[in-house]
Amino acid sequence: MRLVSSILFLLATPALLGATIDAVVRDGRSGVHDAVVYAVPEGRPVPPPRRAAVMEQKNRAFIPHVLAVQTGTAVRFPNLDDVQHHVYSFSPAKTFQLPLYKGSPPNPVLFDKAGVVTLGCNIHDQMSAFIIVVDTPYFEKTAANGRASLRDLEPGRYTVRVWAPEMRGEPAPASVTVTGDERVEVSFNIRR
Amino acid sequence: MPVRSFQARLLWLIVGVLALLEAGTLISVHLAGQRTLQKSVRDELHVGANVLDRILTQRAGQLSESLRILVRDFAFRELVASGDVPTISSALENQRKRVNAGAVLLVDLDGNVKADTIEGRMAGRPFPFAALLAEAQKNGEAHAMISFANKPYQFVIVAVPAPQPIAWLCAGFEIDEAFLADVSRLTTLDVSLWSSTAGLISTLPADERADLPAAIPQKQETTLRLGNAEYATLVHPLHTGDNARVEMLLQRNLAKAREPFVRLELTIFALSFVMLLAAVVAAVIFSRSVSRPLRVLAEGAGRVERGDYVSPIVVDQKDEIGQLATAFNQMQAAIGAREEQIIHQATHDALTGLPNRTLFLDRLSQSIEASKRSGESVGMIMMDVDRFKEINDTLGHHFGDQLLIEIGRRLTLTLRQSDTVARLGGDEFAVKFTAPTARHATEVASRVGTIFDAPFILGDVSIDVNASLGIALYQMHADDADTLMKRADIAMYDAKKNHTRFAFYEPGRDEHSLRRLALMMELRQAVTRNELELHFQPKVEVSRDRAVHAEALVRWKHPRHGLMRPDEFIPLAEQTGNISLITKWVVRRAVAECAEWNRVGLDLSVAVNLSALDLFDTELPTFISGLLSEAGLPPSRLVLEITESAVMKDTAYALKVLRDLKRRGVVLAIDDFGTGYSSLAHLKRLPVDELKIDKSFVQNLTETATDDLVIVRSTIELGHNMGLVVIAEGVESQESWQILKRLGCDMGQGYFMSPPLPAAEFRKWCERRAALPEQAPGLAAHPQRSE
Repeated sequence: MRLVSSILFLLATPALLGATIDAVVRDGRSGVHDAVVYAVPEGRPVPPPRRAAVMEQKNRAFIPHVLAVQTGTAVRFPNLDDVQHHVYSFSPAKTFQLPLYKGSPPNPVLFDKAGVVTLGCNIHDQMSAFIIVVDTPYFEKTAANGRASLRDLEPGRYTVRVWAPEMRGEPAPASVTVTGDERVEVSFNIRR
Repeated sequence: MPVRSFQARLLWLIVGVLALLEAGTLISVHLAGQRTLQKSVRDELHVGANVLDRILTQRAGQLSESLRILVRDFAFRELVASGDVPTISSALENQRKRVNAGAVLLVDLDGNVKADTIEGRMAGRPFPFAALLAEAQKNGEAHAMISFANKPYQFVIVAVPAPQPIAWLCAGFEIDEAFLADVSRLTTLDVSLWSSTAGLISTLPADERADLPAAIPQKQETTLRLGNAEYATLVHPLHTGDNARVEMLLQRNLAKAREPFVRLELTIFALSFVMLLAAVVAAVIFSRSVSRPLRVLAEGAGRVERGDYVSPIVVDQKDEIGQLATAFNQMQAAIGAREEQIIHQATHDALTGLPNRTLFLDRLSQSIEASKRSGESVGMIMMDVDRFKEINDTLGHHFGDQLLIEIGRRLTLTLRQSDTVARLGGDEFAVKFTAPTARHATEVASRVGTIFDAPFILGDVSIDVNASLGIALYQMHADDADTLMKRADIAMYDAKKNHTRFAFYEPGRDEHSLRRLALMMELRQAVTRNELELHFQPKVEVSRDRAVHAEALVRWKHPRHGLMRPDEFIPLAEQTGNISLITKWVVRRAVAECAEWNRVGLDLSVAVNLSALDLFDTELPTFISGLLSEAGLPPSRLVLEITESAVMKDTAYALKVLRDLKRRGVVLAIDDFGTGYSSLAHLKRLPVDELKIDKSFVQNLTETATDDLVIVRSTIELGHNMGLVVIAEGVESQESWQILKRLGCDMGQGYFMSPPLPAAEFRKWCERRAALPEQAPGLAAHPQRSE
């Protein structure tokens, strides 16, 4: 679905193509899945988020397990199960709770502060998810091989960071400057 | 005593084997018990350690669970997330009371104590039990032993999830003696906890506990002596949340652990003792049951030894001993039968089946003993078959044996049952009978003699047999059996000598026998002591009434007994082997005398008697020749007289010697002719020149004694026909002298002419005869019996 829309996007705006950062996140040897790689422009304002995001609860699990959003994104929490959930977060980036509900709560939750928000369900202890709130529209989750590409970057200087679940200590961010439509290779090694 | 020792041996064997077995059992039980004890104590300790671990783990689990319940509480999580320390502290204190913990702490994710229940003394400081925290970070939760405030604590720590950990909740629970008592009850062990920082707590009794801190062993498993008790000890280090050493000591009182084994060993020992007693009783009963019949057997053997072959052994058993008793009884009977047989053989003559000398003597003694009480006389007859040797030689030994059997049979038939007939050996029989009087004894003797009246018919041979019987009576002739037998024997020889069928013992005869014995000893010395001397009796030529020969007769001038005739000592000389000595002396003296006669003009030959034994001396002819030539006497001057029976003894050998003598020119004469049994054919072969008719035929020769007359006449004729000179001995009367003259006898010898005279007297007699040429021959005769 996302792939299809991306293709459509590429086809629709070929003139806007910019630089690409190809990132790889490794945990020792193997690539890390569902790590979030994001590039924060230095010294330049970023455009506000254009899209809302969704964190579904299905089969007593959060989907997706990791969700990256730009600061200021409203996230909806539709409950697709036939049992009630009580979604909460005690994370400093966003402390909230959606007391017992079924179906879609009437209002989305606005994530207006960058940080990691750990989600839980007060009914089901095993349910856990992360929402990564970043101050940039340039972010991507790594595939199973630990690779992710940040595309269409406007020329300029970026700070490239990474986050992964159960990561211990953040690796040093990479500083990348792009000028045109070049491809820049960045790699991270994380400890878990 | 063998019986006793057998019983004792059996007893000792059984008891010994059993005791050995029981000792072995006891030892092996003891050793197995020791091993089992060691193993079971060891197992108990290890099980105890496992149980302890399990209890601690369970307790930790329970404690963790209580903490987990708290941290899942949304409000608590919310409170923790809020960071409101005073509120959090109060919540922790609340929880501490609820779960009965010693202390509760909240630790943030950075490892700092955020709140506590000990009045915030630790708040804001790093959590002191880093190892515990590290383990919790790895596993989500952890528990460990930790010394806290100088007391042993079990700490548990769990995460506060939201749902990722946002903090750590930690609670400590004191390990106290109540807990150890619980463990002790569950494991039946004594449990102590020792920690380097918190010291000792223990379930041990006070005095033993006091010794423990100094005795904490380095080894995991060991035996400790605490107070008066020994403890198997297992040191079980506990997992600690810091670097302190915390050890649990699990201990078993060995004396108590040993108790059941000691009880078992005592029981077995008691059982063994009872079994041993039972075995002793059984062994005694068994050994008695074996030894009693053995004793009976031994007694039976003793009876057999004493000669009791009648009383059997009574053993009322069907086993091997019973069989032994049966075999023993059979053996007893067999020995009895054999002994009877042996006794019979020892006391009876094998040929005739009659009692032998031993039994006879025995019965004789018994009868004498009996008659000493009853006063009755006991008689015995000694009997000897005449000429038995000749019968044996002529008709064969088998015939002789049959004859003896028949004689025995006839004797037995003749006598009463109470009398005893015995064969003493050879042709000698003996009879024992009771004889009230001497006359009665004579009757018995003549009755015994009658068995020889009828001829003995054996096979196709009929033979007349005679015997000589000597009779002796107890009390009259002897006082004991031996003497009685000896005197009957003497009487028998008298009968034989006198040619009568029987003779009574004559008192004094036995003294004669004793004298004979002494003479035997003295005879040897008689020659050297010069006690012998020669007497001479002339043989007168009947036709010319002239002495032509003189028979030399030896006399023994015994220092005590005086002059002894040859028939008193010549048989002795023959028996003692001295006859040759005497013969040689006689021949030497006779030849010397004869030579003297010839020298003084007496025309006489000298005659010497040879013993039968002399005919076995092959040196004799040479000796005689030597003497003759030495004396210068022609051999024809010497006449050697040999009795008929002497020549009969060993014909071939005697003939050889006689022929040798004859060849040397010596004159040979047969003496005592008519008393032996020589056949004419035999006589014909003898190289003799003269024949001397035995004096028994001549002494009583009268015109009316027809038998003697016939014998003398026919002997003279026989002699003459064979070309022999015939000489009559025992001429004692004018009448017999005349008869001999009429019958043509060549020479006469006897008292009618002259008795034997000493050499000097004989010479005087010759001189007188020479002076009275025509005088009757009996002139100088004395009416004496000739020898």
